[in-house]
Amino acid sequence: VSQAASWLKVDGFTRKSMRKAQKQKKSQGSSQFRTQTFTELSPLPQLKDAPSTEQQELFTQKLQQCCMLFDFMDSVTDLKSKEIKRATLNELVDYVSTNRGILVEAAYPEISNMICTNIFRTLPPSENPDFDPEEDEPTLEASWPHIQLVYEFLLRFLENPDFQPSIAKRYIDQKFVLQLLELFDSEDPRERDFLKTVLHRIYGKFLGLRAFIRKQINNIFLRFIYETDHFNGVAELLEILGSIINGFALPLKAEHKQFLMKVLIPMHTAKGLALFHAQLAYCVVQFLEKDPTLTEPVIRGLLKFWPKTCSQKEVMYLGEMEEILDVIEPTQFKKIQEPLFKQISRCVANPHFQVAERALYFWNNEYILSLIEENIDKILPIMFGSLYRISKEHWNPTIVALVYNVLKTLMEMNSTLFDELTASYKSDRQREKKKEQEREELWKKLDELKLSDAAALVQNNSHGLQNNNSNNNNHQENQEKGTAVIATDHEDPVVAMDTAENVKGVKTAK
Amino acid sequence: MLQFICFGSNHIKQNVFFRMQDLQDLDNETCWLVKELKSYIAQEADFLPRETGLNIMESAAEVGIAIPVTQFYILYLPFSSVLMCYFDVLLWCLTFIFQNHNGVSAKCRNAKVEDLWSLASFFGFSTQTFVLAVNLLDRFLAIMKVQPKHVPCIGVSCLHIAAKMVEDECNISPTHELIRISQSKFTVSDLSRMEKIISEKLNLELKAITALTFLHLYHAVIVSLTSERGEIPSIERLEAQLKACLCQLIFSKAKPSVLALSVITQEFDALQSLAMLEIVQELQRHLKIIDSELLYWRGLVAKCMTEYSSSECNKPDNKKLVWIVSRRTAQNLHANHFSVPELPTIPEGSWDESESEDSCEDMSCEEDSLCGSPGSDAEGAFFPSEFCNQGRK
Repeated sequence: VSQAASWLKVDGFTRKSMRKAQKQKKSQGSSQFRTQTFTELSPLPQLKDAPSTEQQELFTQKLQQCCMLFDFMDSVTDLKSKEIKRATLNELVDYVSTNRGILVEAAYPEISNMICTNIFRTLPPSENPDFDPEEDEPTLEASWPHIQLVYEFLLRFLENPDFQPSIAKRYIDQKFVLQLLELFDSEDPRERDFLKTVLHRIYGKFLGLRAFIRKQINNIFLRFIYETDHFNGVAELLEILGSIINGFALPLKAEHKQFLMKVLIPMHTAKGLALFHAQLAYCVVQFLEKDPTLTEPVIRGLLKFWPKTCSQKEVMYLGEMEEILDVIEPTQFKKIQEPLFKQISRCVANPHFQVAERALYFWNNEYILSLIEENIDKILPIMFGSLYRISKEHWNPTIVALVYNVLKTLMEMNSTLFDELTASYKSDRQREKKKEQEREELWKKLDELKLSDAAALVQNNSHGLQNNNSNNNNHQENQEKGTAVIATDHEDPVVAMDTAENVKGVKTAK
Repeated sequence: MLQFICFGSNHIKQNVFFRMQDLQDLDNETCWLVKELKSYIAQEADFLPRETGLNIMESAAEVGIAIPVTQFYILYLPFSSVLMCYFDVLLWCLTFIFQNHNGVSAKCRNAKVEDLWSLASFFGFSTQTFVLAVNLLDRFLAIMKVQPKHVPCIGVSCLHIAAKMVEDECNISPTHELIRISQSKFTVSDLSRMEKIISEKLNLELKAITALTFLHLYHAVIVSLTSERGEIPSIERLEAQLKACLCQLIFSKAKPSVLALSVITQEFDALQSLAMLEIVQELQRHLKIIDSELLYWRGLVAKCMTEYSSSECNKPDNKKLVWIVSRRTAQNLHANHFSVPELPTIPEGSWDESESEDSCEDMSCEEDSLCGSPGSDAEGAFFPSEFCNQGRK
């Protein structure tokens, strides 16, 4: 699948992933060391067949049985036992989903033990140190057949109507949560998906753990942004945060605003932004919908971190900006319109056609248009110059057509202002042209003199240096005087070119 | 209102007071200018669009039946399909008749002229090109009965003809570019055929004397006659105002000489420049322009200018424009509509959740700590104005 996908991004170079696929794959490392001596699992009777008095005991036995871990690296050993465990786990999942009254207090420690034993493990180091999440196939968890069911069981356990957080909190504590969060770095997306749902439920049910969870997520993110630049579970964590932010009470607590400005905004600078941008943008927009006064700092923050060399990121930022503008209040808009549109006017003139297109497409948004309309007198002067320039200079015809649309829209909004700007732009251009012409002529004159006065120049060289040291940087003044003196350094091979008349002029000036 | 200034009033500066009757008192340049004016006035009638044609356009009703067709569909949906077929056919016939036999309306022409303004501005054509194009358009529409669907082609053709006559060769974009930018549906060959037709119908009298010609001459005369340079509005400003007027069909009925003079007079009136108004009045007298005519057009120009300079924004009709983007951007836009996340919202508790039951260890926090310890709710400068500088460590 990744090969098919990678052909969509053809840029003339062989994809890294294709080269890698040709390399032989090492077997996945495992951190689990089997200390226990292996005993074969003996199948226990079915829970549904057992009489109700014995069910509890049987349930406990099965849970304990499932604490036996198997090596999935080896695909031939212990097949029978693995199957027994898998079937047992399946049965347990059903049992917990369908029956009531089974979650007695004694069951909690057993359940917790089984879960911890199975899923809490140190994740093996990535066998691919250059793992590129966008291109490479992730390494999937080998023991997934069992682990998947354990996760399933954990979820059903949490969602069981008889579930009591007051009892469970003895086992689902801070240590549990910490270990859970570490698992988010798993390369297996299926595991992360389960973890996401599990943590979401835990956050919902365990009010006492909420602050801790938030703090730990902060730490993970900060480590990710400023230290490691690596964490596979950012998108999932952000998705959970999205649902949390959505539920914030007003007025927003200071802690949450801190989180927005100190963590979420800087997170935009991460290299792998493409993997979690959708979720990140959602979180940001949710914040703004909760508290519109955050708009100005957020937009200023984004402008501060605006990508300068990565066009793909720039397109993402523009998308996010449009989402923000969709929910912005007009009073807030007024505060940031000038720095924002200065950036947009730069984007519009960007030689990368996707960036320019995305920026120009803002004018297709009705709400943004209405905002521009209200503030046309401030915005049009900012946009005008670059729009007019690229209408003549941009290489991409689609962009030129879009610029026409934008100019036409702006013209219809306020013809007077538009005409004034056109007139001043034209006169500016004319002045520039005149300057260029003058400069051209100056160079021509120099060229003509170079050959004829070669001898005279050598003589006048020292004079030139003495008289014009002070004018070293003031070549504009020189131009006006009509001189063409260029002071030389010792290393500079260019000889000072004094024309005969100019030397005279300089001497008299002195 | 044109104010008749008493000569000898205190407001008038002595050096502006002059009488144009004595031609030999004026310098050569002004003399020549006035002669030009007179000869142009003699010829201007040749380039006026036919008045009857303009009147027809003004009275032509806008096509109004196209829209109710859809409404009929909605209304008659419960009826039998046979009945609907009959209505279909009937309505289609009616639409066809009304649409194609109504001719071009003033509204249609005005919209087209605005488009030409945008195009001329975009391609950097001079005002002269635009004014000439409008003149050709009006003259053609006044003598030919055309279907509204051909107006876009006619408009662009006029612009192209005008550009070829006025602009430098290098400044004219290729025709396919003109067609692409104007989002027109006709082809290059359509365009050249239409240009030929237009040229023929206008008897190849394409280089017209327009209001712009007069505007430039008037401006030159005024500039040469007064030393008060600061008070004279720039020619660009006057041109812009003339362009705004030309967007309304009514002004095509005016004689170019009168229209140009109206624009100038209106501007001087707005600037309350009594001295200038005096010059204009002399000019008017000399060129034998009728007072009532000038007054009439002055009024209309004034109204037009109020609309033009009002700071009220006109909501642009965005639906007319087609936004074409590249395939990649289109994919991007489509994918970017963030779907509602699957996870249900977790409402924040009303009690202070920042206290966790198990005491959280005191991690090394910065002063604006992210810890959930009590006191994080304290009001404070969590948004110091220089937060930008704070974050970077």
